Amino acid sequence: MSRRAQGDAPESVNLADCDVEPIHIPASIQPRGFLLVFGGPEFKVLQASQNAVEFLGRPLDWILSRTLRQVLGARAAELILPSLKSISEDSNPRHLGVIPIGVEGHEESFNASAYALRDVRIVELEPLRDLSPVSFEKVYPLIDAFVASVQATRSVEELNRLAAHEIRRMTGFDRVLVYRFDADWSGTVIAEERNEVFPSLLDHRFPASDIPSQARDLYRKNRIRLIADANYKPVPIIPALRPDNGAPLDLTYSALRSVSPVHLEYMRNMGTLASMSITLLREGELWGLISCHHAKPWEVPFQIRAACELIGQVLSLQLEASDHHAEFERRIQLKSIQVKLLERMAAEDDYRDGLVRDPELLLGFASASGAAVVAADRCTLIAETPTEAEVRRLVEWLDGEVKKEVYSTSSLASVLPEAERYAGSASGLLAISISKLHPSYVLWFRPEVTQTINWAGDPRKPLSNQDDNVRISPRKSFEKWVETVRHTAIRFRQSEVEAAVELRNAVIGVVLRKAEEMAELTGELERSNKELEAFSYSVSHDLRAPFRHIVGFSELLRESAEGRLEPDERGYLEIIVGSAQQPGLLVDSLLAFSRMGRQQLNYHRVNMNELVDEVVQSLTLGTKNDREILWRVSSLPVVLGDVMMLRQVVQNLLSNAVKFSGPQPEAVIEVGSTSDEREDVFFVKDHGVGFDMKYVDKLFGVFQRLHRMEDFEGTGIGLANVRRIVMRHGGRTWAQSAPGEGATFFFTLPKGAAPLPEK
Amino acid sequence: MLKPILLVEDNPKDLELTLVALGKSNLANEVIAVRDGVEAIDYLLRQGPYADRAEGNPAVVLLDLKLPRIDGLQVLERIRREPSLERLPVVILTSSHEEHDVLKSYKLGVNAYVVKPVGFKEFIDAVRDLGVFWAVVNEPPPGSMKPKR
Repeated sequence: MSRRAQGDAPESVNLADCDVEPIHIPASIQPRGFLLVFGGPEFKVLQASQNAVEFLGRPLDWILSRTLRQVLGARAAELILPSLKSISEDSNPRHLGVIPIGVEGHEESFNASAYALRDVRIVELEPLRDLSPVSFEKVYPLIDAFVASVQATRSVEELNRLAAHEIRRMTGFDRVLVYRFDADWSGTVIAEERNEVFPSLLDHRFPASDIPSQARDLYRKNRIRLIADANYKPVPIIPALRPDNGAPLDLTYSALRSVSPVHLEYMRNMGTLASMSITLLREGELWGLISCHHAKPWEVPFQIRAACELIGQVLSLQLEASDHHAEFERRIQLKSIQVKLLERMAAEDDYRDGLVRDPELLLGFASASGAAVVAADRCTLIAETPTEAEVRRLVEWLDGEVKKEVYSTSSLASVLPEAERYAGSASGLLAISISKLHPSYVLWFRPEVTQTINWAGDPRKPLSNQDDNVRISPRKSFEKWVETVRHTAIRFRQSEVEAAVELRNAVIGVVLRKAEEMAELTGELERSNKELEAFSYSVSHDLRAPFRHIVGFSELLRESAEGRLEPDERGYLEIIVGSAQQPGLLVDSLLAFSRMGRQQLNYHRVNMNELVDEVVQSLTLGTKNDREILWRVSSLPVVLGDVMMLRQVVQNLLSNAVKFSGPQPEAVIEVGSTSDEREDVFFVKDHGVGFDMKYVDKLFGVFQRLHRMEDFEGTGIGLANVRRIVMRHGGRTWAQSAPGEGATFFFTLPKGAAPLPEK
Repeated sequence: MLKPILLVEDNPKDLELTLVALGKSNLANEVIAVRDGVEAIDYLLRQGPYADRAEGNPAVVLLDLKLPRIDGLQVLERIRREPSLERLPVVILTSSHEEHDVLKSYKLGVNAYVVKPVGFKEFIDAVRDLGVFWAVVNEPPPGSMKPKR
């Protein structure tokens, strides 16, 4: 296989090009046996390997025009025809048994196996030779013993060693490896049995290109293959294309299939002249290989190969079972953690408090060394994590780019370059998204585990280069190449990811239930609000009416009895009228106060200077002429708020300041503000009578007065209104004073005011 | 003959005070007082006990909101649904200034909304102004019934 590098740098061609070599149709076989292709109802020979001539002692022309019975003899035909008719397509070759071939009396024994392709049957025949170190009779007890010891083995490592040992004992190979594929199809040697001929490859890793994808596909389908001599001369199949359909013969299931010249070169580079590999599957997928090597050409007879294949299958099943067992145990453990987490979540108002209550539990759930619970309004970090800012950016990335309900990676830095900075704490990430509407995530972190990999040769230098003619060939050097893998954590197991999915569903369940409870509460609140409205409606109608009647009829009485009343009687009537008017005003302001709590806030930009100026103007019109008020208003910010309500705040505070400035002819009232990044603080300062700080708590209550009625008129509800309005804007109110020294009232408005939810 | 003023008021004390106030305004219009919403509608539609009354709409309806059986807002709604009454001047005269009531009244097409003041003088003034405005000053909408001066 060679090609011209068309403008490409030679380095850009690598062994991955083997991925395109069609290795299942080499149109040739290995010479240790021969192959015949039969077709049609009479089982006529359609194709034959060239070496059939030697094995059968007939010219190819003769073979290619005969039937199975004619070519292999009547006895062989009787033995194998029934099986040939019944075999199904797309399966491993079926062993047809040992059959005698040739003229009666001069027969030779062959091991026959066959597989089917649509209309044709491919029969492969290997001469029976006793070369094995173990005689056939002993194969069965060996397998039996192997199965028995497998059952007694607990650990996967021990199991692999045992399998390697048994295979080597039966086959006599110099070295037997158990090789496991990783997710990226590179592989690691995890068990080894050998003599002194080869060096150890235990723990060595091989790049994915060493076993290209279509080879892996063949391994998955055909469970055992043997190359008895890497220097063999391929035997062509004649004719090269099938005469019935003109296609090359598919040798996927062939035991004799000739392998790629690249692979043979690879073998020679490794000093391996014979090799055999047995497939290990896990749930139908390629899990690993048992790979056998021999320095010299090495035959493994058919029966032994069959036994090895059986050991491979037993090992596969056992690996799968123990894998399942480990996953099962982990699943049970995760389930119990999940139940505990749910209990805690259900017990808290905010489920997230329940999640983080017991940090060990949350961490243990994903065997993590750090965790974070993140939402717009909170970011709780547990144990080893990146900083809050980094975690927030990570969540932004998850929400904007990844968009998955559950996401996991063992190398965050390889998908999110900025994660390299915090690879130490978070190379592994498992994330579940709780809400799509408001980015809300639970994250688990695993630290970087610096891995040292012993590559069998530098995986990045696989080429041998001849002039500009790049010839792809396997590495010539197998010197150990040590590489350190960084920014990688221990992978999250399937069971852990699945448990995260379950936890996510459970959390969403909890959140939904909480939302339902909240909705119920809101419903109750709405009902009681309605009742309150009905109550205040009734109050506004029915409570005002009697006072109006008292006032009205008292006035009527005064009019009609005008001439007959004594001065003190007229005084009584005046008191009656005056007293009846007061509660009317009270009812009005109380209702206004209650409405204030329910009214929707309409947020607008409000220029506080303009607002204060307006109120000052209206107050100046109302003050008596004998009083001069000096207003000192500094520059005030523009705020976000409900202008009608803020006017009431300013109106109340300024009129209070005027009122309590008292009888002095010239009063100074200051209005000013300070700001930080969170809020604006406003103050109104008078130089009037002031109050005792002892009573400051009463100041903002409804109907609380610190002064006698006749000294300062008012309903005692103004400051309660101020506090309520400011609170609804998300701000605070307070006051500072001393008797006789004036008073300062403060209120704050948050910047970019996020209005409190209307409840 | 002048068109009458229809006063819809259930509270006898308010009724008396309103009648006094209207009396003080020296209006020549007759005041017809009814005591609940059903009666008001019967009068306006000339049905039930009022089936035999003389034809013609009042100059103005002074309507309280809190009424037995059918409340003021429902009366207003019924009036505006009736073609012969849809332009009849209606003034809400009530104790409350609940924002909800004010909005609803205007939405239903009230001509004015007046909260009864607690002070007697203010009350007298308010009712007198109303009576004078709607019964004398205001030019009634053109309709089938021209005022007979």
